[in-house]
Formats: sequence, structure tokens, C-alpha cells
Amino acid sequence: MLYFIHLLKLWLIQVRYAITRELAFRANFFAWVIVELAWFVLQLAFVGVVYQHVDSVAGWNRYEMIVLVATNQLIQQIFTAFLMPGLVKLPDLVRTGGLDFLLLKPAPPQFLVSTSSLEIGPLANAGIALIVVLSSLHSLAITPTLSATFTYLLLVLAGLFVHYALLLALVSFTFWIVQAESVLLGYYSIFQVARLPREATRGWFRVIFTFAIPLLLVANVPASVLLRNMKITPILLFLGTSLSAALLASLFFYLGLRRYQSASS
Amino acid sequence: MSSLLCALPTVFSIGLQRQLAYRWNYLLRALFSAVPLLVSWVFWEAVFQGKETVGRYTLAGLLTYYAVLLVVEAVSSPADDDFQISREIREGMLNPILLRPLPYGLYRGALFLSGRCAYLVAAFIPVLLCFFILSRVVHLELASFDILHGLPALFGSALLQFSLTLCLSLTSFWFLDISSLIFLVYSLEFLAGGHVFPLDLLPAPLFTAARLLPFAYEYWFPAAALCGTLSHREWQIGIGMQFAWAIFFLFLAHLLWKAGLRKYTAAGG
Repeated sequence: MLYFIHLLKLWLIQVRYAITRELAFRANFFAWVIVELAWFVLQLAFVGVVYQHVDSVAGWNRYEMIVLVATNQLIQQIFTAFLMPGLVKLPDLVRTGGLDFLLLKPAPPQFLVSTSSLEIGPLANAGIALIVVLSSLHSLAITPTLSATFTYLLLVLAGLFVHYALLLALVSFTFWIVQAESVLLGYYSIFQVARLPREATRGWFRVIFTFAIPLLLVANVPASVLLRNMKITPILLFLGTSLSAALLASLFFYLGLRRYQSASS
Repeated sequence: MSSLLCALPTVFSIGLQRQLAYRWNYLLRALFSAVPLLVSWVFWEAVFQGKETVGRYTLAGLLTYYAVLLVVEAVSSPADDDFQISREIREGMLNPILLRPLPYGLYRGALFLSGRCAYLVAAFIPVLLCFFILSRVVHLELASFDILHGLPALFGSALLQFSLTLCLSLTSFWFLDISSLIFLVYSLEFLAGGHVFPLDLLPAPLFTAARLLPFAYEYWFPAAALCGTLSHREWQIGIGMQFAWAIFFLFLAHLLWKAGLRKYTAAGG
């Protein structure tokens, strides 16, 4: 228990440092908020264009689809704020031998790699995504109950685990291939699956992206909790698969770490 | 002039060797670039449930567009040229390049070309595989495939993307970090360039406005020209706009380079 408190203290120091750094480069902070917002607008514009031509896609109407897209954005932005900046630096650390400095520190390597860098800007966009979710629910005349809200937040956390598992697994490839910058493109490409309504998929695609890489559950399950009376089974399934995915990715990271040879002299 | 002509193949060769040294990176990039096609396929299949057409597209027509977009992307999209140029300026790595008897634009052009060739080699099989798999599921509308109109548009797209990348990267003379600017332009390219959906699905006034911007000529125009969905008149206007934008950005890059060099301070021996 004391060990976890120690890690929490370390993490809070990183957060404080990140806030200080962001405030030092305010123009950069606002520029990134605008960039992320532009990508969100792009997704909403796509929904707008599609629903100009149809009333429903796989049983999801326009506002329900916006709740799905915005929920995905909410999870992605929280992930981008707290975990992604550290993970994407791993390929560079491995190539240059900079990982040595992290390995010498008295904390688990996975924790240090994952939390070595933070960005506060995406949290502003997470807030915007939440506002979009709430305004779409208002348009649908839905007022979520307290238990639905609590379950939604819990499932957002589970979604973070899936994002984390996928990116950790992808960046861990850097222990085998020298230049692994394209894994970031891979992360963004694969995560487009999370914006699909699960009902739109079928066959092997649905099986793979539900059980092997549970991307179809990341935004679908939390959104469905708000929009529909969801049964407990898919919620438990999602919680289970997200935890399993994170554990498997962690094992893969440590497997790769055993191959690490310092690049420094 | 002759020394210049001798230097360019050498720069191209060095660039190609550098790119192929990281072939796994390229292969992964090519594989991952096919994922959005898969997602589009699944999503649009659901949209087309009970409908024959959306806008003027059938499902097969729309999937053909997305598949052709993969080819356009492989041929004309810069990889990380923008970040490379930015790093060269920011970290003072321009010094050895400035000493060479080679204009910087041509030097970067040769490297861009080598990058595209390396990517094409890596992407060839994944793209071919995408076409094969799609053609087994839907009847791709490749009968109207128009190579005669498509190739110049493809070349124009590469020139436009290269010149725009050059302009963006050269702002590094003034700004410490331009990654936010680069990603902002990426988002505009994706939306207004027809990467997320064909631009002719937009309402008419927005479609007209999009065709006035350079982004439409990066992806939508070459893809539509290759698919053979443009009339000869539309193609003529499009190719004119495409090359006009490319020349404008090349000229702007020249001005930025001149102004930037006056500001550039090289440190180190």
C-alpha cells in the first residue's frame, strides 16, 4: 500500500511539473487545444454529412451517434493528457539509449515510461467532448440516472485501459524494430474502429474487435449505458477484457524490455 | 548546371538507402494505412443498408474511391519531410547543406521523391491486397478508371503536397515548435481534402467552397480523376487550380526561404 502511495506521489510531482511547463508555453498550449478541437470537429462534420443522406445508421440516430463519437473523444483526450505523451517517447528512448536513465530510477519501468510526460491541453478538449455528450443527451430528452452516470464514468476508465493496452503493445515493438514511429499512425488508424457502432459490424470483424482487441466496446458500452438500458453482462465483459488487455500489453512490454541493449557507451 | 544534375541522383540514392534502412517502419505504415479503408467499408455498408445510393455514390463506387485514395496517398503524401526540415532548421543542421552547390528546394525534392519510391515499394503489396480483397466482396467500379486524366492529377497532387509541406516547414525559421501547425493543416487536409469522405457528398455551396481551397486538389481531385468520375471540363478546371496552388506555394516557399535565411543563426563548428 505504501508503495502505491509512493508511486502516486511521484505521479503528482509529474503532474505539477507538466502544469508548470504548459503555463510557460501558453501559446503552444492553446495551439494544441485548437488542433485537437479541429480533429473533433472533423469527426462531427463527418457525422453531419452522413446524416444529411440517411436518418439512421445501424439503429443509431444522429444524436446517438454524436454521443458515441464524443464519448470516444472524451476517452481519447484523457488518455492523450495522462498516458500517451510518455508512451510515444519510448521508440526514441530505445533508439538513443535514453531508456537507461529511466531504468536506473527507483520505480517500475512501465510506470516511468507511461507517466514520464503529461499534457494538460487535451483535458480542455475532454471537457468540450463531455459538453457535447450532455447537449446531445438533452436533444434526445434523456436525463441519465445517478447509477448510469457512475457506470458511464467507470466504463470511461475501462476505455482508458484499452487505449493504454493497445499503445503500450504497439510501442513495445520498438524493442524488435529500430524505427517504430509508424506505430503511432497504427494507433490512430486502429482506433477509428472505436467510433463505429457495434451493430454496424458483423462476422470476424466483430469477434476480433470485441474479444481480442476490444475496441468496439470502448465507446459503445459507455454510450449505450447512457442511451439505452444496458444489461450487466456486456458491462462486465468490457471490464474484464479491458483489464486483460492491459495485463497482456504489460507482459509484452516486459518481454521486449529483456531484449533492450543500451545504445550508450 | 551539369554538377547539379549529377548531384540530384546521388541525393536521391542516399535518401532511398536511408528510407529502405527502416523498411519495417514503412511496411507497418503501409499496413496501418489500410485500416481506415476497412473501417470505411464497415461503416458505409451500414449506411447503405436498404439504400441503393448515397448522394451520387453506390457502395461499390464509394469503396472504389477509398481504395484509389490509398494509391493517391502512397504516391503523393510526404512521410515526415515536414518534421525533418523543421529539425534541420531548428538544430542548425542546415550548415552542411548550405555549403553544398545545390538549391535547398531541389535537395528536399530529391529526398521527397526517394521517400515516395521507398514507400511505394513497401505499400505495393498491401495496396494490391486491399484491392483484391475488396474486389472479392464488391464489384469495384474500375471500368471507368481513367489513367490519362489521373496521372497528371497524381503528379500535381505530389507537387502540391510537397510545396505545401515546404512552406509549413520553413516557418521553423520563426517558430520554435511547428508541430501544432502541421497537425492543424493535417486536419484541414483530411476534412477539406476529401480524405474522410468524397467532397461531392457535401451540400452544393460547401462543395463549391472546398474546390476553391488547395486541400481538395491533394486527395479528392486526383482520386476522382483516377476513378473517372470527372467530366473533361471539370478535370481541366481542376488541373488548372491544382497547378496554380502548387506554383503559388512553391513561390511562397522561395520567399520564406530567402527571408528565413536572413534570420538563421548557425551555431557550432
